[in-house]
Amino acid sequence: MKLLECKNITKKFDNKEILHDINLTIKPGKIIGLLGKNGQGKTTLIKLINDLLTPTSGEILVKGNKVGVETKKVISYLPERTCLDKSMKVCEIVKCYEEFYENFNSKKAYKLLKDLDLDINEKLAKMSKGMQEKVQLVLVMSRDADLYILDEPLGGVDPATRDYILDTILSNFKEGSSVIISTHLIADIERILDEIIFIDKGRIVLTSDADELRTKENCSIDEVFRRMFKC
Amino acid sequence: MLAKLLKYDFKKIYKFLIIFYSLAIFFAILTRIFFQIDNSFVMSIVAKICSGATISMIVSIIINNVMRLWVKFKNTLYDDESYLTHTLPVTKNSLYISKIITAILTMLTSVIVIALTLFIAYYSKENIETLKNLILPIADILDSSIIGVVILFLAVLLIETLNIIQVGFTGIILGHKANNNKVALSVIFGFAVYMFTQTISLLGAFLISLFNKDMMNLFITNEVINIDMIKALAFVCIVIYTSIFIINFIINILIFKKGVNVD
Repeated sequence: MKLLECKNITKKFDNKEILHDINLTIKPGKIIGLLGKNGQGKTTLIKLINDLLTPTSGEILVKGNKVGVETKKVISYLPERTCLDKSMKVCEIVKCYEEFYENFNSKKAYKLLKDLDLDINEKLAKMSKGMQEKVQLVLVMSRDADLYILDEPLGGVDPATRDYILDTILSNFKEGSSVIISTHLIADIERILDEIIFIDKGRIVLTSDADELRTKENCSIDEVFRRMFKC
Repeated sequence: MLAKLLKYDFKKIYKFLIIFYSLAIFFAILTRIFFQIDNSFVMSIVAKICSGATISMIVSIIINNVMRLWVKFKNTLYDDESYLTHTLPVTKNSLYISKIITAILTMLTSVIVIALTLFIAYYSKENIETLKNLILPIADILDSSIIGVVILFLAVLLIETLNIIQVGFTGIILGHKANNNKVALSVIFGFAVYMFTQTISLLGAFLISLFNKDMMNLFITNEVINIDMIKALAFVCIVIYTSIFIINFIINILIFKKGVNVD
């Protein structure tokens, strides 16, 4: 069964082609690394899947549905920036998620927030950027979604917290669901990946099983990436 | 889902408007108190300062209401917060309808608060008599009550303001279709659409004036407006502005449904 299918996706801004004829299929139960250098089209692809951009041509299907209300019910998306209303308290944001997403588990959210020592009565505006990102991650991982899309979840986070974030992702996503993690910090996440997708200049240049690639190249994925995209 | 969207949209607008509502009423009460104890030169100055503050709060309510609706429209649909808004399991229609209903209801509330503020600050038998004497000739000619005349003019004012708000939304939607200079383009598109709708209104009024001599005088003479014509003009304004509002609403929904391009 296909969880996500991108068929011949092209995205142009003015006349500049950002994504070129992307064909991609994601199956359930996998952790996929969407890997590439900065500015190669990772975020653009993710935004297209999440209805934040409109494709110039092509079609995206999630569980057989075109991007829309039904797909948004099953995708839990962590953007690269803070998208929450900063004038709201954490508990108000949790309530907001509870109201809009049927698959949101508020008990899980409160537990994770407590584990992270985050004050639920504090306004987001008074929190540091790192804390805001943690709140956002907790909200995303507290949904029982079929597909989690995490755009640069480790960006701007210190190395010690990176491991914690990865553990939070690993221990909180719904069984049988898939996780797409977009990043350029490959060394930090490669231990958890089942599959990898290399994206370069708006094209998918490699898709592979993570273990198979490591065995074939006899080195880490990080090393493969460095070799492939050496400047 | 629309009800839930409305709840959050109302909260975002009223959170700030409530401050201006409170200040307007506060200064209105002060104005009333100081005008009543107006027994010295200093007191009369203080009363006038309070009266000025009340009026400036009334102006602030209108400006803040309109500006905040535009800013929140942009923030929640095209800036950082849009990453959450567009990934909520709601239709694009619901997102836009929620903004329009919020605009209508917050403007209505503002009009009510402004009326209440004026009443608190300036209500007196003499003022009411002066107002009555001013409106009565119009009401007589229009074969209407004084309240009817006031409601008629408030309706014209409200629908025109709502049109301006929606034209701002159109500007933001069109401006954000482009990939660069989105804010500047939003302003330019908004202004262009406003000029276009005003031209359409004028054309509409001209077409109607072909069947109404008094209204035609507006276009072909320099005469002072005939009081008989005010009622016709007010109704024409309501019909034209309402039509433009509905057409603009449909066009905006159609453009919005085609999708967004969030930075």
